[in-house]
Amino acid sequence: MRIRNLSQLLASTALLLGLACGGGSSSAPPAAAPAPAPARSLAYNDPTGVGWRLVKDPSSTSTRIVLNLVGPSGLKTRGVGLNLQAPLTVKFGAFGNGLPINDAGVYQLTTAGSTDPSEPLAITGGVKKGNLLSVGIYQKDRDQSAKDSGATLCQIAILFDPAAQLTVGTSLPLSVPKAKAIPEDIGAVTDDQWTLDKKMRMADISIAVGTLTAN
Amino acid sequence: MHGSLPRLLTALVFALALGPALVAAQPMSPSARAYHLSQQPQRVVLAQDNLMVRRTELGLSEREGFIPVHAFTNSEGVAVVRLDHTFEGHRVLGSQAIAKVPLGGSIRASTSKVMAGVQVEGAPTLSPETASAIALRHLDSKGPLKGAPRVERVVFPAQFLGGIATTVDPETGKVSVDRKLTVHARLSAPYVWAYEVRTHLQNVHDGPKALTYYIDARTGNILRINDALEHQAVTPSTGTGKGYYNGNVSLPTSLMLDSTYALYDPTRGTLPNPDLQNYTPDASGWSATGLQAWYEQNDAQGTNTYQSFLFQGNAGNAWGDGLPFTAYGMEGGANGQTAGVDALYAMAWTWDFYKNVLNLDGMDGKGTSVYAQVGMTGSYFRNNAYWDPYSMALGLGTGTPTGYGSFTEFDVIAHEMTHGVTATTVKFVNSAGYEEAGLNEATSDFFAQMVKAYASGSAGNTGATVPSTGADWRIGAGVGHGTPLRYLDKPSKDQRSADGWYDGLLYMDGHFSAGVLNRALYFLAHGASATPGADDFSPYLPQGMKGIGNDKAARIWFKTVTEKLYSGNMGTVTCLEARDQAIQSALELYGESAGGFGLDSLVSHAVENAFGAVNVGLNYAESSRTQVRFADWRNHDWIQRNHFSDIGYGHKQYLPVGERVNPRITVLNNPNTAVTWTLGGPSLYNGASALKGGVINADGSWTTPYTLGWYAITATSKADPNQFAEGRAFLVNLDTDGDNEQDAVDLGPIAFSWYLTNGLNPAHSMFNAPWVDDADVAAFVDAMKATWWVK
Repeated sequence: MRIRNLSQLLASTALLLGLACGGGSSSAPPAAAPAPAPARSLAYNDPTGVGWRLVKDPSSTSTRIVLNLVGPSGLKTRGVGLNLQAPLTVKFGAFGNGLPINDAGVYQLTTAGSTDPSEPLAITGGVKKGNLLSVGIYQKDRDQSAKDSGATLCQIAILFDPAAQLTVGTSLPLSVPKAKAIPEDIGAVTDDQWTLDKKMRMADISIAVGTLTAN
Repeated sequence: MHGSLPRLLTALVFALALGPALVAAQPMSPSARAYHLSQQPQRVVLAQDNLMVRRTELGLSEREGFIPVHAFTNSEGVAVVRLDHTFEGHRVLGSQAIAKVPLGGSIRASTSKVMAGVQVEGAPTLSPETASAIALRHLDSKGPLKGAPRVERVVFPAQFLGGIATTVDPETGKVSVDRKLTVHARLSAPYVWAYEVRTHLQNVHDGPKALTYYIDARTGNILRINDALEHQAVTPSTGTGKGYYNGNVSLPTSLMLDSTYALYDPTRGTLPNPDLQNYTPDASGWSATGLQAWYEQNDAQGTNTYQSFLFQGNAGNAWGDGLPFTAYGMEGGANGQTAGVDALYAMAWTWDFYKNVLNLDGMDGKGTSVYAQVGMTGSYFRNNAYWDPYSMALGLGTGTPTGYGSFTEFDVIAHEMTHGVTATTVKFVNSAGYEEAGLNEATSDFFAQMVKAYASGSAGNTGATVPSTGADWRIGAGVGHGTPLRYLDKPSKDQRSADGWYDGLLYMDGHFSAGVLNRALYFLAHGASATPGADDFSPYLPQGMKGIGNDKAARIWFKTVTEKLYSGNMGTVTCLEARDQAIQSALELYGESAGGFGLDSLVSHAVENAFGAVNVGLNYAESSRTQVRFADWRNHDWIQRNHFSDIGYGHKQYLPVGERVNPRITVLNNPNTAVTWTLGGPSLYNGASALKGGVINADGSWTTPYTLGWYAITATSKADPNQFAEGRAFLVNLDTDGDNEQDAVDLGPIAFSWYLTNGLNPAHSMFNAPWVDDADVAAFVDAMKATWWVK
């Protein structure tokens, strides 16, 4: 009972104070900034340059951006792997093979002459803690020739996540903290042990990424 | 005389027409048995003809056929014929048909293990001599061979390739790939020509070894290695005259031509022993045919001289002093004879049991003679007993003065001789890593009990049934000075054996995984209690069951191992298959009419309950049971197909070291699929080679340790704590590029290491092995998938 009385008192007081302050002015209060519109899609702008880069594939949709990994034309390689860091507000998508990486058919993944359809292939991928995509695709048979990297070598996919409640215009920074390729002369044997050891290592590469934005 | 045969036939036909339930389990008269045995050769031919005609139906070509390799006539008068499948006249490993030819009945053949679609291209390019040399190079013997290797050209199915094995250095704890045990070949086709090379060692440097190699006949690669010796960790015994274990007994001996006696029984065995026939008979009248007790000659310090002698030259035919063995260097004397007495006494009873109760002539059904070597010493022999299938012989250790007693106890000898039955019929593999290793040992343990019961009966050694008393359901109680080596009623009383099946049982040594079948057969014969806490109580059958008695249990299991199951030493028989076939055996022997047992009126339902009570299949009328399984998620992938025979790949998963992971597990038949994870597993207490490490986190995830190797992990159902599974995770270091990160980029070094030569790239192997191949690729992808698969 006492509480109800107090509420009534407060309401009356507020009304009185309102009347006192509002006297003589008829202008509307300043308009609040419009709330950011919720995003419903993703937009990706390709990076510039002709080196290693992730470019948008035409098959992309507004909610599934498919990125093609393309290398420098004329550079022959035997495989490539990369880690792609993305914000937690997007997801990585899988392809028909269940992997987050899709083989574009340039690298010869099977052993020369293999007739075993279940032969293990050196292609894999997954998403590590912190939304770090890690993928790799490699030729495992040195008898297969190295391939020109200036084509789509593999694909990855980034998905719009409605649950992330992104707003239009939000920048979604992507980065590639690690990327390595198998050079053409990998494993070449010389009489020089140091040279041999050097050739047994994968080559660090730098992959340019474009800008990803919520729309 | 002329009229007896038609009357016999009429009676038999009439009896068969009435159905097996009324007559099948009844002992056969001697005249009927003799008649059936006389018909066996013709029935073998009929069986072969029948299968040859059915080749197209079985998916076989004109280049394939069947050759009979084993036959016996069972207690129902049915000839049971095992026929190996051949391709161009050469045996196809692991492919066999079992035909049953009854009197006047239609031939029934089990062909589930016959492989269809066998194609072998080309011809061997290696000679048998080269294959033998390859095997001997790998054998790397330190002493002389027992005999020249036996080489046979065979067809080798790729599914039987051996696989990866690891060992732990007992001093450093370091895990490494055991190159000696690792078979890492790849096959380009599902079937290839190979040579089976049987090697045989028995000397002071190497101990007893009987390794069988399978050598690719075109590449020379070793495809698989089997250990043929049937070892046992327990052996007691006593003999005739004055035995240590059996007391004062009468023994079957021989009066030799020199008017002395020998522990040599010429009345049991019709074919010479394959090992003894290499000896030249002397003037004593000895031959290689008959049960015999030999001794190994040691020096006064107990070191084996590897010279063997028959116990002979006994003037009074009185043997032994009944005392523990101490007379090293004088094994042929009264003290040494005691072991020979025990051995021969038990051998004769075992022989008679199989012949009179189960209608099996000798261990191999052919009457091949068996001999025992007692007084075995040396680190390989002293505390052991074994069955040598090539020699058809038992090796029986002396024990140690402060440890085990002599390994000549009655049930140990019956156990070992039973290996001779399984080694010539079902051919269970005897290595840990296969469930059937336990079936193998349990079959020997169980029939050892049956022989013990048989010997206790009033019918003497001519009885045709097994009394339901007389078995103590223990193995090696005397060897262990009152502490049995194994218990059949509650196997876990030895602190090592399993009381029930669980997924992962196969990791146990067969002597301890034997607990499952041992207990099932104990329940079947003896019954199970409904009193919680009793030794014969099972939580899987809390209501208990009534046993069907020794005789029926023995016949059911004998029929199962000799007529239903086939492994061919390839490890394909599971506990569940054994259970299913035992039920079938019970139905065939006792039909639907015999009753009064268990919860239901049918013997077959008692079999269901006995196996259900050890968690193999369901109890009779039980509708569902929770199961925890390391599911076979490989779905016939490359590893599974190419390493099928390797120990339990279906249970194994690859995971990265030093990561927080969630091992895969499946809970069936229960809506509550939650499990409790624990590190390690039962097999680790039974000699299995695996590690235990890391931390189980509060959320159930496992933070793996940093040392690679096989780790045992166990998942127990929260809904039903009686259900659990032990699996193996191979922890691999995915960081092949050395940047302290495990990611997909690390697959690159494995890929480019592919065909580099050994020594260039050991760091890139998932197994720290000096090679890289598809197994590494598959393991990497599997570990990645299990840990960081895209969600």
